[in-house]
Amino acid sequence: MTLEVCVMALGVVLMLADFWLPADRKKFAGYAAVAALAGLLFLSFGGCGCCSLSGTAFNGMFVEDGLAVFFKRFFLIAAILVLFMAVEFSDRIAGGVSEYYSLIVFALSGMLFAASANDFTMLFVSIELITITFYILTSFQRGRLVSLEAGVKYLILGALSSSFLVFGIALVWGTTGKLNFNELAAVAAQFESNKIFLIGVLFILVGLGFKIAAFPFQIWAPDVYQGAPTPTTAFLAVGSKAAGFVLLLRVLFTAVPTVTAHWANLLIVISGITILYGNLCALPQRNLKRLLGYSSIAHAGYLLLGVAALSTSGQSALLYYLAGYLFTVCAAFTVICLVTRHLDNDDLSALAGLNRRSPLLAATMTLAMVSLAGIPPLAGFFGKFLLLKSVLEQGAANPGYYCLAFTALAGVVISFYYYFGVIRAIYWSKAAADVSPISLSGPIKVALWICIAGMFWLGLFPSKALNLATEAASVFAK
Amino acid sequence: MHAGLEHYLTVSFLLFSLGLLGVILRRNLLVIYMSLELMLNAANLALVSFSRFNDNLNGQVLVFFIITVAAAEVSVGLALIVALYRRRQSAHVEDLTTMKL
Repeated sequence: MTLEVCVMALGVVLMLADFWLPADRKKFAGYAAVAALAGLLFLSFGGCGCCSLSGTAFNGMFVEDGLAVFFKRFFLIAAILVLFMAVEFSDRIAGGVSEYYSLIVFALSGMLFAASANDFTMLFVSIELITITFYILTSFQRGRLVSLEAGVKYLILGALSSSFLVFGIALVWGTTGKLNFNELAAVAAQFESNKIFLIGVLFILVGLGFKIAAFPFQIWAPDVYQGAPTPTTAFLAVGSKAAGFVLLLRVLFTAVPTVTAHWANLLIVISGITILYGNLCALPQRNLKRLLGYSSIAHAGYLLLGVAALSTSGQSALLYYLAGYLFTVCAAFTVICLVTRHLDNDDLSALAGLNRRSPLLAATMTLAMVSLAGIPPLAGFFGKFLLLKSVLEQGAANPGYYCLAFTALAGVVISFYYYFGVIRAIYWSKAAADVSPISLSGPIKVALWICIAGMFWLGLFPSKALNLATEAASVFAK
Repeated sequence: MHAGLEHYLTVSFLLFSLGLLGVILRRNLLVIYMSLELMLNAANLALVSFSRFNDNLNGQVLVFFIITVAAAEVSVGLALIVALYRRRQSAHVEDLTTMKL
């Protein structure tokens, strides 16, 4: 709890700081927030009360276990990298830069609560805290029509999915009388044939499927990714998706494990279609952020492989893959943010000649694309390997898993085309309109090096991170 | 006639379906937004009636959370729609076409 309270307080302080800081000092508010979050992250490893490994609060609604701690550190790192990006982006935001920082911090607090949610009330409140904050973050550049339009689209579809979520919660609670996940798990088996209960669970999955942008609830993702300010897009791709996954894991494997066991085929189909849809639609894209939007749908599909495997190895592979995805996506969006800072569009052509303008940025973007495509020795390769392995392990029980693994491999092969299209645009495009070198500030270089180090560390020395992920996933083994 | 749980639930299902139809069929953003609120309130009705007939107050507590969150959502949502209206002079979904493939 201490961690959440500290993050909330930081958000309020940032908002108040807006009144007293002179306009040219606003940048320091962002760096101060980064420093504060880095301090909290450091404390969470020190284990001084912030992130103890057990305990509950609010009458069992809020639970602190291995999984919660894993995701809390994940969200803190994501928010730190996004804040670095937001500081660089601040000159494109017309007014209220401190508000932008504080909204990022508030969204972070929602994600921290989501990591610990063990009750449908907590699930609903934390998911809404994240989503409503993101409505504002998405439409923050209110002078740009695309930003507003993305915000409205996200608003309508987000509100639609939360009404499904609420209705599902109402049905599940009405039939079982339980809101707490552990209590629900104890009685869920006797409601397995109750249609209303099953519809309720399905509606809850609709609400969560929207958050992770799984097929068929993915239509918002490309538009919102394209229109939103770049730091928001990065946070949406990493934080919001991971929050959806932690809640999905808790609901499927803590609250209704007996129902989940029957729904393996549903999960296989959703995962397979999500992978194919994301990869095929990404092929013709020329807008960088839109391309990454479709690629994030595909990655939601890869992550769902770990859910569909219904095993501890699948869950730990999912967590490991998310960690690699965090550094990779943050690297890609940081580069996009810096390159298109003074441009009005985010077309692929903006990357032309990047290797001459800034070798570090070109190298980072190349590494990020290689990692997203899943080529050794970077993080994405080992994550995909683990996910496929966990799926194939289940193949003996259900041949559908072999089809799923094949689909995933086909998706990976398709994705090579568009990821290498990005790399080609950097190094081999002919007409570079702008060849002026891009100057990088010190802090953003630090952020880029953190991302690169993360990608290599997870790819070359996977054992440490994999142990952490397995430890976190062992929550479901009980 | 005595109204039982199933009557309340039927009304709740009907409200939810009407809201969903409204979201799908109507073209004005404000009307769509009202339909979304209708869907949320259908869920609230289901929660309250379950709560009343199962003698369990947890559902009513959840309703308070939902109403509070919905209020926050409406304030953000209306502000967004107003901001969009100022730029486009229109609140119709057909005009949300800046971003295409």
